Amino acid sequence: MTIVLLLIPLGLVLVCVAAWALFWAVDSGQYDGDVEAQGLIAVEHDEPPRV
Amino acid sequence: MMSAAASDSRSAFGIEGMHCANCAASVERTLRGLDGIHSVSVNAATGKARVDWDPTRLTLKPIFEAIRKLGFRPVPLAGEVAEAAAVKERRSALKRIGVAGLGMMQTMMFVYALYASGAHGIDPGIAQYLRIAGMLLTTPVLLYSGMPFYQAALHDLQRRRVGMDVPVALALTIAFTASVYHTLLGTGEVYYDSVTMFIFLLSLGRFAEMSVRQRSLSASEALSRTVPAEATRLHPDGVTERVSLARVVSGDRLRVAKGAVVPVDGRLLSDAASLDESLITGESRPVSRRTGEPVAGGAIIAGNAIEVICEKPASQSTLAGIIELLQLASSEKPRTVAVADRVASWFSFCTLALALAVAVFWGVVDPQRAMPATLAVLVVTCPCALSLAIPATFAAATSYLARRGLLVVKPDAIERLPRIDSVMLDKTGTLTEGAPVATVESTIGITPDRALAIAAALERGSDHPLARAFQRFADPNVTAVDFHEHPGCGVEGIVQSRRWRIGTPEFVSGQSGLETDSLLYLGSDEGIAATLAIRDNLVAEGVNSVRQLQAQGLNVIIASGDTTEAVRAVAATLGVREYHARMTPQQKLDFVEQTQAKGRNVLMVGDGINDAPVLAAATVSCAMTQGAAIAQAAADLLLLNGSLQSLATGIRVAQHARRIVRQNLAWALVYNLVSVPLAAAGLIAPWVAALGMSISSLVVVTNAARLAWRRT
Repeated sequence: MTIVLLLIPLGLVLVCVAAWALFWAVDSGQYDGDVEAQGLIAVEHDEPPRV
Repeated sequence: MMSAAASDSRSAFGIEGMHCANCAASVERTLRGLDGIHSVSVNAATGKARVDWDPTRLTLKPIFEAIRKLGFRPVPLAGEVAEAAAVKERRSALKRIGVAGLGMMQTMMFVYALYASGAHGIDPGIAQYLRIAGMLLTTPVLLYSGMPFYQAALHDLQRRRVGMDVPVALALTIAFTASVYHTLLGTGEVYYDSVTMFIFLLSLGRFAEMSVRQRSLSASEALSRTVPAEATRLHPDGVTERVSLARVVSGDRLRVAKGAVVPVDGRLLSDAASLDESLITGESRPVSRRTGEPVAGGAIIAGNAIEVICEKPASQSTLAGIIELLQLASSEKPRTVAVADRVASWFSFCTLALALAVAVFWGVVDPQRAMPATLAVLVVTCPCALSLAIPATFAAATSYLARRGLLVVKPDAIERLPRIDSVMLDKTGTLTEGAPVATVESTIGITPDRALAIAAALERGSDHPLARAFQRFADPNVTAVDFHEHPGCGVEGIVQSRRWRIGTPEFVSGQSGLETDSLLYLGSDEGIAATLAIRDNLVAEGVNSVRQLQAQGLNVIIASGDTTEAVRAVAATLGVREYHARMTPQQKLDFVEQTQAKGRNVLMVGDGINDAPVLAAATVSCAMTQGAAIAQAAADLLLLNGSLQSLATGIRVAQHARRIVRQNLAWALVYNLVSVPLAAAGLIAPWVAALGMSISSLVVVTNAARLAWRRT
């Protein structure tokens, strides 16, 4: 059963990695909702059309 | 003497970091303690505050300072700042849930190993290793994900109140402290799994509540966001320039591109425009405007690009007025919500008392069960139907109606609307589209068509508003020359070599004593040839709307200052059986009061300016108003699209809101009556209790959100 001595710290490290990945995803706006608005970025005009 | 208006300033702003009704109550109490504050209303569900104060004794700065000292952050409501705050709140909630979830899964395994191995015996070294691992995982979860519960509970305690977070924070503290103690001791039960699970499940519930709250904010915010930050200004030499909207002043010529939002109130310079005014009126069909006609800020250009001349700075536009009203309305608290707040606080206090009793009882009877039973009681009770669902319901109803052209200015009106059984309409302007059309009442010696053609020819040269009533009858073969307008009397001119007059009987025939009500006379040198009437055309929709109101079981009454014939005609067309004509404002007021004395609840619909006393007397008042008049209208509701249809919807939505509040209260009652005794008896495991509370709060909040999703 000595393997748990290794596996448990490994589990803790994996949790930390998962938490870091989640923080990264949230902070880069992956879960900000409004999926449509993200799609519109591609077709948005940077400037109003000249007339 | 100083006027009341001069010593009164009013502001609405957002407050970040409020978790419950008690936070709102503590802000209210603190602000009331400031010198110079007239009134304060803080709504926890919408996160908004409304403050009236005396600017000679106080400024906004100390008010914000006081709020910050309580641990909350005041934020401006409009535009991007509020949006950024919402995004930040959402992101940090997601991170907290994620951390709690990950921690929960791992802790579960460690603690399960301890439980499962208990029967077979476990190597004490490994058992201790598992306990320490659990502690290492749970500590960051508690400190990070559990922080909002502690912050909220701390706020409550600082204000010497008990909110719904106090029992939760207590449960977390007890479970964690006991676990750490047993870990250090190296023996005994640990509850790390319970701690992480509480935090995870309760955070999930909070997240759902937050989503509903943020959606309810959006009625005014959606509007604020549509206002562009810049405008395209045209100079006389043809040069265009992008300027900040704040720098646009009256008299500026602006170009608005297709699909863009008109940033200010102004007049149209282009020949024609097609505008989508749905943001302002809820009406999605485009309207057309011609040169010189007003264009409201907030209208979207449906046709080609237009040029407008600015009449008012952006801060005074129609749209700005609507946004301000919406913000003021959403920061005020309906009476039901205030009562619910108090009950919820009392409820949380009882939970604490009960938990103590349970701990003592089981401590004596069966110490093994004392801990789980106490934790279960603390976590299972759910006052969320009171402190969260009721405000959320009202907020959802308000924002739903705002999108359909009905602004709820006084939040209390939503509570009173379902009781309405009579709708009293003032005919003028409310039932008619304001496009008068002439009709022939009688003729002597000429055909009605010819009478109208002559009248149209004469009125062509007149600026009088009624002249529009003849426009459609103009005949190119019948023209008038040499016409003169006699103000207050009528118009005269020569049509086909004969002198005709149109106007009052005295002016046309020289006789007096003829009936003058709504009648115009047409005559030549040979005497009166025709009598004409000017009628307002009923909006076709008006007929439908009245039928709809009647179908909802409402008694529709017309009370108008107009002539008997005019009112009778309107009533007959609409199918309204009860009507009263020639009523003075005082008579209208008396009539409303008499109707109410009979036990009826009257919804009065008027223009909001001239009939303010009548509106004030009614159970619920509604002003039909447009444009700049919005800000002055004194009424509970503002009907922006002039369609009674929205009013019928408003009553239905208010009834729906009342149903939802009742359902939620019934649910809360049943849930707590069942779960609390079971938890106290030790029959509910702590994790079931946390799940129960989360599901219960989800049930009530989702039920409240149903209102925002309804179709009609």
